[in-house]
Amino acid sequence: MTVRVRSATKSFGRTTALDGVDLDAGQGVTGLLGPNGAGKTTLLRIIATVLAPDRGAVSLLGRDPARPDDRTRIRERLGYLPQDAGFHRGFTVFEFIDYVAILKQMTDRRARHDEVRRVITLTGLASVSAKRIRALSGGMRRRVGLAQALLGDPDLLVLDEPTVGLDPEQRLRFREMISRAGEGCTVVLSSHQTEDIAALCTRVAVFHQGRVRFTGTPNELTARAAGRVWADAQRSAAALAAWRTGDGVYRNVGDPPPGAELVPPTLEDAYLLLMGEPDLEVTHS
Amino acid sequence: MTVWHLDPEAIRRYARGAAPPGLAASAEAHLMRCATCRDAIASHVDTRRVEAIWHEVVDRVDAPRPSWPERMLARLGVGEATARLVAATPTLRGPWLLGIAGVLALAVWAAQVDERLLRMLLVAAPLGPLAGVAVAFAGGLDPTREIGLAAPYPGLRLLLIRTAAVLAVTVPIVAAAGLALPGSHWLAAAWLLPTAALTCTALALMARMTPVVAVAVVAAAWVLVATPTAMAGHLDLAFGVGAQIFWLAVAVGGGLWLAVTRNTVTIKLGRSA
Repeated sequence: MTVRVRSATKSFGRTTALDGVDLDAGQGVTGLLGPNGAGKTTLLRIIATVLAPDRGAVSLLGRDPARPDDRTRIRERLGYLPQDAGFHRGFTVFEFIDYVAILKQMTDRRARHDEVRRVITLTGLASVSAKRIRALSGGMRRRVGLAQALLGDPDLLVLDEPTVGLDPEQRLRFREMISRAGEGCTVVLSSHQTEDIAALCTRVAVFHQGRVRFTGTPNELTARAAGRVWADAQRSAAALAAWRTGDGVYRNVGDPPPGAELVPPTLEDAYLLLMGEPDLEVTHS
Repeated sequence: MTVWHLDPEAIRRYARGAAPPGLAASAEAHLMRCATCRDAIASHVDTRRVEAIWHEVVDRVDAPRPSWPERMLARLGVGEATARLVAATPTLRGPWLLGIAGVLALAVWAAQVDERLLRMLLVAAPLGPLAGVAVAFAGGLDPTREIGLAAPYPGLRLLLIRTAAVLAVTVPIVAAAGLALPGSHWLAAAWLLPTAALTCTALALMARMTPVVAVAVVAAAWVLVATPTAMAGHLDLAFGVGAQIFWLAVAVGGGLWLAVTRNTVTIKLGRSA
């Protein structure tokens, strides 16, 4: 396993951000799903070696990030896109990515510039590489963030809300880029978007109030909602969540009444059920 | 149409890059027009050398021209990677430097009015560069702090580069303010060694605490010690000859400690990194 987290606990003052979290992630894309404040970002910052847990064990790429030497070796093989990735806005796209490449210890200028060009091309930024970052749209800046994370072809890619604030077309492009990256390395990402998780991830961990409520494949998570989603002409009082769909029928999620017209569940239905019933047993598969 | 061709020896020497300038220029002009000689030279050319040259050409043409601060640093002999790191130092931006200059101008004006304020200016002078060092690593001002924390670049090296850059810019500003003070001009330089000593102490503390906390601890200690002596008129206690020797010793000691521990110490640039 590239990422192995055991009983990780992290508090900020009186707020417990992580409460005994376990997580394993190997090659492919692992998604962390959960509401704001559920602990996803804290865990990603721990996996990115930016933060240390108060308690618990973490192993990344077979090394212990608590040891300075190991931490440096991990960082050499790590790409990280923070949730609020900042930029030196006066730098051009090329200059900024080159700056991060320097921080990644790419010392040979020509090889470094080649690598900067490679990630710029990979993320579709070639046409704006000489533009200042302050002149770019939010979606383009997010691409710059992804480009710097891809520098050096990392073995572990940590992406915090990579698709937030992107329009549908940009999200699709991002999915494509992340999916391609996940073919050769371990990607751990967080998202609010169940569609992103369903489209991208081979494994998913659902977070709620600093704890992992579920780990498994997206299909396994979806299967948990089988028999608990039904269509009706009206909103059911028994439903945990219900909304009117485009064809005028209500989609109800919860415990269906006898004779209800069951419909195939989606990942979103299963997520809603899990969030609506936080006392359910934690499931690992 | 050309009727002569390069002889085999000229082709070999040109292909190896060993032709004298006259022969090289003549061969180049000829090769532009003669397909036979281009074919003949192809087998002599080291493809790796051609690729390397082409690579260099592409890189020179394609890479953007560095910004003027980076070009200026390059002229002073600073490496291009270090120059890029310096250019990204948050406290070297215009608004921060203008802020420092503004505060000092106000302090100098106040010092003309009241001698006690003049003494307080001496106490406050080292705090400008110190604050610059702290802010260079503050999360709020360094937009790429999070990315930098997850990168393998040695924290101590980054710390020293940024500290040197901050001092190189802020010390002249504070010195210029000192020259505008009334009375003896020794005051313009009296704070320099305390600044060096306080900075080295803060750097040494950064193995134990984050830059902002380390600077806050050192600055608080300085203010608590220096303010009462300055207000009581005992400037010699903090700025006299004996004190200057003490500050020099602290600065040298801190510098030596940094040099000795540079490969083993882990600088705490982030909360837990």
